[in-house]
Amino acid sequence: MRLSNRLKPFYTPLLLTAIVLLVAVLTELISMSLLVRIVTVMFVSLILVLGLQLFMGNSGILSFAHIGFMGIGAYTSVLFSMTPAAKTLANPEMYPFLVTLHLPFLPAVLMGALFATFIAAVISFPLMRLSDAAAVITTFALLVISHVVLVHLDRVTNGPRTLFGVDFKTTLWTSVVFAVITIFAVFMFKESRVGLRLRATRDDAYAAASIGINMVVMRWLAFTASAFLAGIGGALWAHFITSFSPYSFYLTETFVILAMLVIGGPYSVSGAVVGTLVVTATREILRAIENYINILQVFPEGFFGFTEVVLAIVLILILVFRPSGIMGSREFTWPPRSRKEDYLGADQAANPNQ
Amino acid sequence: MINLEFIINTISLGSLYAMLALGLVIIYGILRLVNFAYGELIMIGGYTMFLLTGATPLPWLVISFLAVAAAMFTSLFTELVAFRPVREKSLTAMLITSFAVSTLLQNGALLIISPRARAVTLPQLFQTSVMIAGTSVPWRNILTILTCIATLVLLTMLLRYTVLGIALRAAADNFTMTRILGVPANTVISTAFAISGIMAGIVSIFWIGRSASVTPTIGAPPLLVAFVATVIGGMRSLTGAVVGGFVYATIISLLGVFLPPELMEFREAFMFVFVIIILLVRPQGLVRSKTSVERMG
Amino acid sequence: MLELEKVHARYGAITALRGISIQVSNGELVALLGVNGAGKSTTLATIAGVMHPWQGSILFEGEPIAGKSPEQVARLGISLVPEGRDIFPSLTVEENLRLGAYTRKEKIEYRRNLEEVFDLFPVLKERLQQPGGTLSGGEQQQLAIARALMSNPRLLMLDEPSLGLAPALVDQIFELIARLHQRAVTILLVEQNVERTLEIVDRAYLMNTGLIEIQGTPQELRAKADIEGIYMGMRRQPDS
Repeated sequence: MRLSNRLKPFYTPLLLTAIVLLVAVLTELISMSLLVRIVTVMFVSLILVLGLQLFMGNSGILSFAHIGFMGIGAYTSVLFSMTPAAKTLANPEMYPFLVTLHLPFLPAVLMGALFATFIAAVISFPLMRLSDAAAVITTFALLVISHVVLVHLDRVTNGPRTLFGVDFKTTLWTSVVFAVITIFAVFMFKESRVGLRLRATRDDAYAAASIGINMVVMRWLAFTASAFLAGIGGALWAHFITSFSPYSFYLTETFVILAMLVIGGPYSVSGAVVGTLVVTATREILRAIENYINILQVFPEGFFGFTEVVLAIVLILILVFRPSGIMGSREFTWPPRSRKEDYLGADQAANPNQ
Repeated sequence: MINLEFIINTISLGSLYAMLALGLVIIYGILRLVNFAYGELIMIGGYTMFLLTGATPLPWLVISFLAVAAAMFTSLFTELVAFRPVREKSLTAMLITSFAVSTLLQNGALLIISPRARAVTLPQLFQTSVMIAGTSVPWRNILTILTCIATLVLLTMLLRYTVLGIALRAAADNFTMTRILGVPANTVISTAFAISGIMAGIVSIFWIGRSASVTPTIGAPPLLVAFVATVIGGMRSLTGAVVGGFVYATIISLLGVFLPPELMEFREAFMFVFVIIILLVRPQGLVRSKTSVERMG
Repeated sequence: MLELEKVHARYGAITALRGISIQVSNGELVALLGVNGAGKSTTLATIAGVMHPWQGSILFEGEPIAGKSPEQVARLGISLVPEGRDIFPSLTVEENLRLGAYTRKEKIEYRRNLEEVFDLFPVLKERLQQPGGTLSGGEQQQLAIARALMSNPRLLMLDEPSLGLAPALVDQIFELIARLHQRAVTILLVEQNVERTLEIVDRAYLMNTGLIEIQGTPQELRAKADIEGIYMGMRRQPDS
């Protein structure tokens, strides 16, 4: 059948979309507001994890900067989407030219993503030629810089204080639509020529250079694209949570998104999806336990941090026993077959930096 | 104003930062690992002091010693349990592990003790000052400088005159080669982690000594300082770490004096931009190494 | 003393050794020859424990050593001088040598070995307190070999000791190897300089793309293989 042949290369994203839709439909049917909230946040996190996968999975470089771009996207999008009145109320000190900005929701989200992309494009180019170790440190530096700037640009972000009054726009199905689009986008990037070339540099930088692949450009393209997705994720999250501060875009968030990606499997799109699902489910269960224990008032100081401790332990266990994550660099395919990627050696999948 | 008080305070800060950077570089030099959990070792030192000063009548000197010991054992423990199994895999895996360990320790403290700040009773000495050449200098600062000197002397002696020390320096040059010569990898790495823990413990005494309280997140600011100081110093050499610590302290102190108030808050951001620039332009840091050139012929 | 049997080794997805079998007897000087990429360095690395074979066995004095860590292999008395010298640039000559003797615990033995090393390499005695990084290429090569000798190795493995050295120094190195051979040190030598190597070795293996093509005494090799062709192909420009 010609249709099935044309669809074959897209089996993976289609399967993943099916999973997403299944979860969404179930949530809709069960219709508990808490569940709807959890699942919506999960899909927004999925967008962030997918964005990180696009860069990390294909380039092999650990990037801490991702959540920084999330923050930039979040703040930029709300600066556009909030009415001038709302902005003046939330942050009386805001620069006048920012107060006057106003766009509908979707264009605002786009502006958020584009601004994050712009920043990423401009500052990251010289960084992409750094060795892996130095690259990681610079991405960490970027995260710190973005955090410090967000915390201290009072007249833009309201400083360390909460910025409130954002319209709630990210419904369950809004997040589903964006998530599905992102799944396809990240998958297509992976299968594109840029993705292929980038992975070649990941596996063997010298060999790749010898056949003319420009590692710096490939990395830069991936980094910029991933910043775009981080911006989208940030914008959607901002319009879900409706009030936030720069502290939502720092180390804790970075840890969670990184854990989702690594536990699921950083080398495949399916890994990003699986990781997000598994970690969200685990966290919610643990959080429920945490809340229950808190209600019982067993511990006088409160029972906090349990979720993070367990998550950290799980992450370490995965790194020790199954470093390529649950998916182990494989994608979901149909019919289900155990098949390593053609361009990955068995050991290379587990040891990107060897 | 640049006066004697400023100079002494800057030297004291530099001493603190130098010891801080040393603990980070000693691991980086051998494993290329930035130990994100390093800040949490300071937190451990702080909580040890909190637990002991509150509950027991032990003298402050003993408590300090125990705080350093606690940091050292925690460091060794994390190496054994988290880093060693991942070491053979990849640097990225180790980096993520160190991030996870950091989160684990932080939230562990949150869980076991409390999210609220805990007061640490400081010794009388830390609150008194002495007059030197007409300016009032806190004893704490003098102790920091003295401790730094003592630590540097001891460390230098260890590295120069013991076989283990020579092995550590060799491992920083070429880890695989030391193994080929028969030096056990685990011994070298455990020693490095132990030293790292000791440095963190010592730093925690003086860091907590400034604020008199400890929280689960107290490890984050010193980690960032160690980061910057290390990069400035070139990340490879211990001398570089010490120099980096003093340079950073000087820059920060000078910025504090000369930077207009609106930009002061962005000091940290400036330092990290500086970090990126160094990594781009002169990744070997600002310290020139005398052995970096090989004669031809 | 040393026996490799059908050893396979891989770098990630690339197979470097495809089933090689080598023997080295006590006191022999054996060479591994071949062009770049033939697998010679990989063989040494696998014996030394830096790499682990995924198939095949390695016996050293009857004991299996495949899969052991480098430090364990070193303790058994196998010393490797890797390609590129790999001396510790920030350590002094003396400290380099001291570390070479790491597996030897006795002070008397250390001093005796030091004297022997000074006898073989007088220049090292001159530069004893200088950092290794300030030595010339030839001096560093001497230091690397001296360092390996400090541990009284049962088996000495040298990976391209003449690489990158001026012709006069190349002579020196080969003279040195011959002298060590006379002192009954068992040596496994990897070299690209075929002519000079065949002059001094007992036996040699010619490797190509991870396999052993030819093996035997120098006479047998010259008869079986087009040594001239290989020599011409690998002829190096005189170093300036």
